[in-house]
Amino acid sequence: MEIAELTCETCDRVTEHELHYAGRLLESVKCTRCGVHMELAPRTLVPAYVHDLEQRVVSKPGRMLHRAMSDPLAYVLGLPRAVLRQPMKFWREFRAVIGR
Amino acid sequence: MLAAGEGRRVGHDTNKVLLPLAGRRVFTWAIRWARHLPHVVHTVLVIREQDRPTIEASLAREVGPPEVTVVVGGETRHGSEWNALQALAPLIESDQVDVVVIHDAARPLASTALFGDVIDAAWSEGGAIPAIPMRGLITLDHEAPVQDHGVAAVQTPQAFVAAPLLAAYTQADRDGFIGTDTASCIEEYAEVSIKAVPTDARNIKITFPEDLFLAERLLAQVDYDLTGDASATAHRRPHLRDLLRRGEK
Repeated sequence: MEIAELTCETCDRVTEHELHYAGRLLESVKCTRCGVHMELAPRTLVPAYVHDLEQRVVSKPGRMLHRAMSDPLAYVLGLPRAVLRQPMKFWREFRAVIGR
Repeated sequence: MLAAGEGRRVGHDTNKVLLPLAGRRVFTWAIRWARHLPHVVHTVLVIREQDRPTIEASLAREVGPPEVTVVVGGETRHGSEWNALQALAPLIESDQVDVVVIHDAARPLASTALFGDVIDAAWSEGGAIPAIPMRGLITLDHEAPVQDHGVAAVQTPQAFVAAPLLAAYTQADRDGFIGTDTASCIEEYAEVSIKAVPTDARNIKITFPEDLFLAERLLAQVDYDLTGDASATAHRRPHLRDLLRRGEK
């Protein structure tokens, strides 16, 4: 979850908003002042998530290479933890997308 | 690149330009599109001091070389622009920078073509701003006439020939003048004509929550590539389904 100041049309002012993500996709936003909540409809979220997931998978080798080149030691040291985190990360994402 | 916001945040809220947008921070998208042009050689990012750790981590992760110069913004947009120009002043004075482009980092969908158009127009005219005609406007004062033409919304990136821009801001600093945007300072202090460059409705500013959803969709529609370059499009990374189709053959 992220907290950011955005303009709320209901409050007609800049207010604090809670933003929830499913993977890289914004899933829902809520104004913490008035409670107005908006979210992607499941029929939109699921194909958007699949499309985004494809792009993530295809671009992953390039992103890994970029990180390995820019800081090889940190990349090697962080790799086991990053690999171990993936199943839980994807489980959370799938639950957020499909569980809606 | 202005990423300091408007200075009214006091809590622990994330600056909206630091929000995730389709796998990157909002502010790094526009840096990516601008730096696709070979003649964009120096990038100055204006930030809030409290955002520095996140900004630096995001730059390291999402923006390649050459290094981005990071400066802290002022109390106003004008002050932030002045701080950025001061960082560029030695390069402008030594003729290493011909044109300065000022862009609001909350507009992540400003395409490479738009950056190129304003730079070209600024080089030939002195200054260039993207403008989009506003149609169907009415005044709230019923006695006033309805405005249905000749009104345009101005966006960023705005580009100006570097030397007059620096001179204008230097004089404005001496006079204590604070402009609402770059063009207003140029109009006040420089004899430079400013050309309106056509833009498109995709160049949205992240303001309302809906804008984030829209920006995500627009990026997905163009396969996360606003370079608009034919060769770049041809060599764009394919999606998995494209690879699978090729495998079937």
